[in-house]
Amino acid sequence: MATGYAELFCFSNFTFLTGASHPHELAERALELGYNAIAITDACSVAGIPRAWAALKDSPVKLITGSWFELNDAPSSSIAPRFILLAKDRQGYAQLCKLITTGRRRAEKGRYQLFARDIETHELDRCFCLWLPPSTEHATLPQTIACGEWLLRLFEQRLRVAASRSLEVGEELQLARIRELADHLRIPVVATGEVHMHSRDRQPLQDVLTALRNHKTLENAGHCLFQNGERYLRPLSVLQKLFPESWIRETIQIANACQFEPGSLRYEYPPDLVPSGETPAGLLKRLTQEGERRRYPSGTPLKVQALIRKELGLISEMKYEHYFLTIHDIVAFARSQGILCQGRGSAANSAVCYCLGITEVNPTKVELLFERFISKDRNEPPDIDVDFEHQRREEVIQYIYQRYGRERAALAATVIRYRPRSAIRDVGKALGFDAALVEKLLDGIDWRDKSTNWHQQILDKGLTQNPQMANQFFTLVNTLLGFPRHLSQHVGGFVISAGPLSELVPVENAAMQDRTVIQWDKDDLESLGLMKVDVLALGMLTAIRKALELISTEKGTPFTIQDIPQEDPDTYAMLQKGDSIGVFQVESRAQINMLPRLKPETYYDLVIEVAIVRPGPIQGDMVHPYLRRKHGLEPVEFPNDAIRQVLERTLGVPIFQEQVIKLAMVAAGFSAGEADKLRRAMAAWKSHGDLTPFRDKLISGMLERGHNQDFAERLYQQICGFGGYGFPESHAASFALLVYVSAWIKRHHPAAFYCALLNSQPMGFYSPSQLVQDARRHDVTVLPPDVNFSQWEHTLEGPTHQLRLGLRIVQGLSRHGGQRIYENRPRQGYRSASELRTGASLNQRDMELLAGANAMAGFTADRHQAYWQLLDYEEPSALFAQETETDYQSEPCKQLPQPTEGQNVLADYRSQGLTLQRHPLALLREQGHLQHCLTAEQLRTTRPGIPVQVAGLVTGRQRPGSAAGVTFVTLEDETGNVNVVVWLATARQQRKPLLTARLLHVKGVIEKEGDIVHVMAGKLSDLSHLINTLPVSSRDFH
Amino acid sequence: MLWLYLHFPHLLLDHIQRNQDATGALVIVDGSGQAVTQACATAQELGVEVGMRLKTALGLAPDLHIMQANPKQEVWLLEDQARWLYHYAAHITLAPPDGLWAEVSSLQKLYGGLPAIWQTLEQALTERQLTAWIAIGHTPQTARLLALTGKGECTDDKGRIMTALGNLPLQAAGFDKKACSRLQRLGLSTLADVFALPAPELARRLSPELLSTVQKIQGTRADPKTPWQPPHTFRHRADFIQEVEHTQGLLFSLQRILSELEEDLCWRQQDTDTLQISLQHRHQESTRLLIRTTGPEHRAEVFLKLIRLKLDQQPLSAPVTALTLTVKRFAGRAAPTGQDLLGESQDLNEAWHTLISRLQARLGDQALKQLAPSEDHRPECAWSANAVRKPTKQPETEPAPLPHRPLWLLKGPQSLDQTPTHWLSGPERISSGWWDGQRVHRDYYIAQLPGGELAWVFRDHQDGWFIHGWFG
Repeated sequence: MATGYAELFCFSNFTFLTGASHPHELAERALELGYNAIAITDACSVAGIPRAWAALKDSPVKLITGSWFELNDAPSSSIAPRFILLAKDRQGYAQLCKLITTGRRRAEKGRYQLFARDIETHELDRCFCLWLPPSTEHATLPQTIACGEWLLRLFEQRLRVAASRSLEVGEELQLARIRELADHLRIPVVATGEVHMHSRDRQPLQDVLTALRNHKTLENAGHCLFQNGERYLRPLSVLQKLFPESWIRETIQIANACQFEPGSLRYEYPPDLVPSGETPAGLLKRLTQEGERRRYPSGTPLKVQALIRKELGLISEMKYEHYFLTIHDIVAFARSQGILCQGRGSAANSAVCYCLGITEVNPTKVELLFERFISKDRNEPPDIDVDFEHQRREEVIQYIYQRYGRERAALAATVIRYRPRSAIRDVGKALGFDAALVEKLLDGIDWRDKSTNWHQQILDKGLTQNPQMANQFFTLVNTLLGFPRHLSQHVGGFVISAGPLSELVPVENAAMQDRTVIQWDKDDLESLGLMKVDVLALGMLTAIRKALELISTEKGTPFTIQDIPQEDPDTYAMLQKGDSIGVFQVESRAQINMLPRLKPETYYDLVIEVAIVRPGPIQGDMVHPYLRRKHGLEPVEFPNDAIRQVLERTLGVPIFQEQVIKLAMVAAGFSAGEADKLRRAMAAWKSHGDLTPFRDKLISGMLERGHNQDFAERLYQQICGFGGYGFPESHAASFALLVYVSAWIKRHHPAAFYCALLNSQPMGFYSPSQLVQDARRHDVTVLPPDVNFSQWEHTLEGPTHQLRLGLRIVQGLSRHGGQRIYENRPRQGYRSASELRTGASLNQRDMELLAGANAMAGFTADRHQAYWQLLDYEEPSALFAQETETDYQSEPCKQLPQPTEGQNVLADYRSQGLTLQRHPLALLREQGHLQHCLTAEQLRTTRPGIPVQVAGLVTGRQRPGSAAGVTFVTLEDETGNVNVVVWLATARQQRKPLLTARLLHVKGVIEKEGDIVHVMAGKLSDLSHLINTLPVSSRDFH
Repeated sequence: MLWLYLHFPHLLLDHIQRNQDATGALVIVDGSGQAVTQACATAQELGVEVGMRLKTALGLAPDLHIMQANPKQEVWLLEDQARWLYHYAAHITLAPPDGLWAEVSSLQKLYGGLPAIWQTLEQALTERQLTAWIAIGHTPQTARLLALTGKGECTDDKGRIMTALGNLPLQAAGFDKKACSRLQRLGLSTLADVFALPAPELARRLSPELLSTVQKIQGTRADPKTPWQPPHTFRHRADFIQEVEHTQGLLFSLQRILSELEEDLCWRQQDTDTLQISLQHRHQESTRLLIRTTGPEHRAEVFLKLIRLKLDQQPLSAPVTALTLTVKRFAGRAAPTGQDLLGESQDLNEAWHTLISRLQARLGDQALKQLAPSEDHRPECAWSANAVRKPTKQPETEPAPLPHRPLWLLKGPQSLDQTPTHWLSGPERISSGWWDGQRVHRDYYIAQLPGGELAWVFRDHQDGWFIHGWFG
């Protein structure tokens, strides 16, 4: 009788569209069944290993790391072999990773390509090879033997023949052949389950995946599907019946010989940064001291000195010097190139990071304790995200590749998983549902409408009348949810290693050219304790850098972030009014509404402002208590000192993610480990996590400790709200700094502010048109694009800093053409269209775009005539090129009408997306189309509670997840924006105008809260047709 | 010359709607299924517009019925209309996908003036439950542009027609997109604005093609239209938004089609003895019915009676999504002997066809089947007996090798009541077919029974034993 079993052949769902179980499901099932070991052997991949490992950590079941391969060619006179490689030890693991990398790097994203030659040339002496001989139908015996002999030469006594019992037709022949091969080659046979799923119940899903892989429906998939559902993890008793004892014994022997343990992977820091003769700790200390002299020219305050000592002690205790040095190196590179950057996240806002220049958050200004961010108990690597200017981040990425080489630096993967939409679509496809019906169904589902779940919605829509089919459909979709679909690149998480990265984890190609990703995502890295550096892109940093440059030019001396005075009352006064369009983070409508309520007066208020308008605090109903306490309408109380410590800075109301976790510990008695689990569950909640197990523990824990039920429930709601959108204080602190900097620039240098924002597009919430209107409301003069004045970028002109729109605003204009216009411009300017055409060597398309933009105002009567002139042009043939270069001004065409104001406005919008002439709404109002409608400005002085009518261009429709069923519509008129609130019932009744109108008319009731004005919508009407009548009716009017 | 143009703004939609009793909101979407190309009145009331993305349309009307446009079908439909218009006018030209020209100057005398023609057409359209916008012009293009914009009037007054034409917006002039946007950028908005520009400038600054288009509209350049010839077949199709599950549901549309057939035959002065009916299903091969009359015939009620009989014998195998009636064999009324007017050569295909037809006529359609392997793991689904099809070309992919199966598969499993003497092979487990409600879960063995026969036996999941086939 054999004593157990080791499964050595398992596809998890990381073999996309093949495996029908998650790695952890396989792992857990192996544990239940009492297997000795289980190998996860995905196709040319180890992507599933970390998840299986996390599930088997501290369990008696051993996890074996392996991978399945099918070669693209055949060794001579045989056929392309399929086999599994299992890593015997760390070295074998490195060999495996290297082979996978070779195969993956050679092929396009998501595929691999390996040849017999690769197996011959790669060192694989620390791997077992389980050969999967071809079926008797597919290869003759001599071919099969040739294949076996080839493998035997390469793997010698590490080669086994794998046998499986799927009970399919032809199996007896195959088993006979396997015995024959084993005898002939004198190698042992090993039993495998050829596992595609952890349990037989997954057969339907496996069939669905197979059908999808083959682009078929189940009905016509035929023999692509397996004949039965036997490829699952079978109970030991069944295995013992199916396999000879010796074959089973062999599995255990191999498992015993495989000693590699993923947990043993340790990150080895790149040693490059430490010059010889210096220790990492010494170097970090030296760099910190240099930074101190820069940050505190008149001497480091004692408090900061103590902090730095403490932090350095902690860093060296945890051996994190290399991490800080790596980040410092990247940041120093960015500095040297004049690229603005700002670190955030745990450990970023420390005194050491401030001195190293990783962050601008001054530790003397904020009391952020470093210890809170590096947890000694958790033994987790610190996490610092660094934001760079979005237009220049690529330079930083290229630097990293250059500095460490592609062998040692790669991006972390992001696992793209099945979401309800994609799962429904794919299962529908496999079941042969009509694609149009499925789309109809998907469109009919109101994903935000939480009151009915989508299951019910599907039934209501009657996709299928067959209830059995409907049940199957639901089960399949539900199981498929969260399955990985493919690996994509993480937004900026870099893994940098000491040795070749491909010995640590396989590297594969990303969709983007010249990008490579590793096979693990950030959760995998975290669970294995590997470190990554986040290099992220932030548009606002680009805008700030550009604004600072403009201010420097204006002042005639360099002006940097450090020169911005701190805690400027004018800046806070502006923010308190909600005047924040363009300001980082607080420019959304919700934030604009919050600013006058929160009335930020200090930097720390901004930290809270950034974090409070988030699903977490909103769902936890923490916003109102905080505001009441801040404005002294409610006493600030703490149940006990422990809680006081956690919540003092936020007046007893939990706002940040860290506080919630901490509260779970001090108020509900969670252990550090449990709190950590809670944190992970929160992060994963949106995709596939489940928080309900924590609910009871949290609430009963809090009740036991004398907190009331209501507070406990709210805290739990807040935890749910944080799921996926968690916003920690450490990030808010860094963001708040950029909020302040951008707000200060807006308040004191508006022209530079808008100019920089416009030059950094696309970014932020608002379109150039909205930014330009806001600029004009702030008394910035904006001038139109003109071939005789504009550069490519927007610029500031003259002593009054007028904002001259650059030629880049002309949609479709070629960049090179636009630049030549500026570079080749004669001193006295262009005098005719033909001079412009030849001088800047512009093509017809660019010329037409310039005419459409009315950018030739200096020498053409209007855009119609400019265009008429341009049309009389033929590409000069080379022979007559000289002759046609005459400077000739063509006669204006009498038959062409002069453009009306309305036509000009529309043409401006078409060409630039904005107009500097009157707002279309002003024209319509003048024409008498909008009688009884109040402007945004008039609304401000209108009494609340009375019925009003408003109209405007629809610039935004939003349905925030945190506000059930409400749609917020923003209307723009010539005086500003009108905020319209549409309740669910109203929205349902008037879907058409709500969804399609470009120009919307609203009858409603005005409501006010402080300075915030809303119109509660009643009747909506679509006035979009008026836009098209603009040119006609204005001609009639004049 | 005077031209009349008929524009069918939503031909497919009308066509579908007149085949149903009542429908909800219905739209036609383009081939890619992305955009709405035609919307019925109910849909429009809900805010659905032509050109809208389907997604938006569904947002407005979640219960929308959707039909995908099929270019082939649109051509057939237009030809239907041409055949009908051919009853009234001799010189007809098709303007696919949705318009027809008829030269009417010669007809005025025949009908007693334009108003009479106009009225006759309008009345006939109403009877046929079709919407068409009619317009008249002195050039084909003028008639067409006015019809497309619904600005047609029953007049042959050149001045009035030209005024209406001049008032058309640029977008309605049928210029290509580039030319249209160029003209707009010059500030022009109507066709009259374009007519006002000097012709040489127009050719030089815009394009000679544009000038040619303008001149064709104005009539200063020739624009000949080739007359259309009616085809030799009759083909009509009805689509159903809601699948028809009972024979009864088909009769409504059949009645209409058959009366059109009768009208067509009368006009041709011909009879037929063979109707081909094809019923389309969503998931299955279409059902083909062949209706043969005993002799040449043209009366709708006779055809209907025969079809009824046929459908009574053969209930619908699956819900029907569309119905097509085709008549290819015609015989002149004067020659009731049933002379075949189809002059096709008797090639092999034809011979095969004749053989099959004869066999079917002798034995009945149901008696004749064609066997084929079918890819499915379940033995009972691994083959199929389908209606006989014409031999097709070799399949493009090699069929997979067939598994080891008994030559004689029993019609249904029979219980095994003898204990086999020898077990020769097995178990082979077949567990499949969960998706269509006919899941099997069996272990198959080859066993020798006491009588020496080699049987294919299986055990099902309830431990019952059955014989499923015999080996030779």
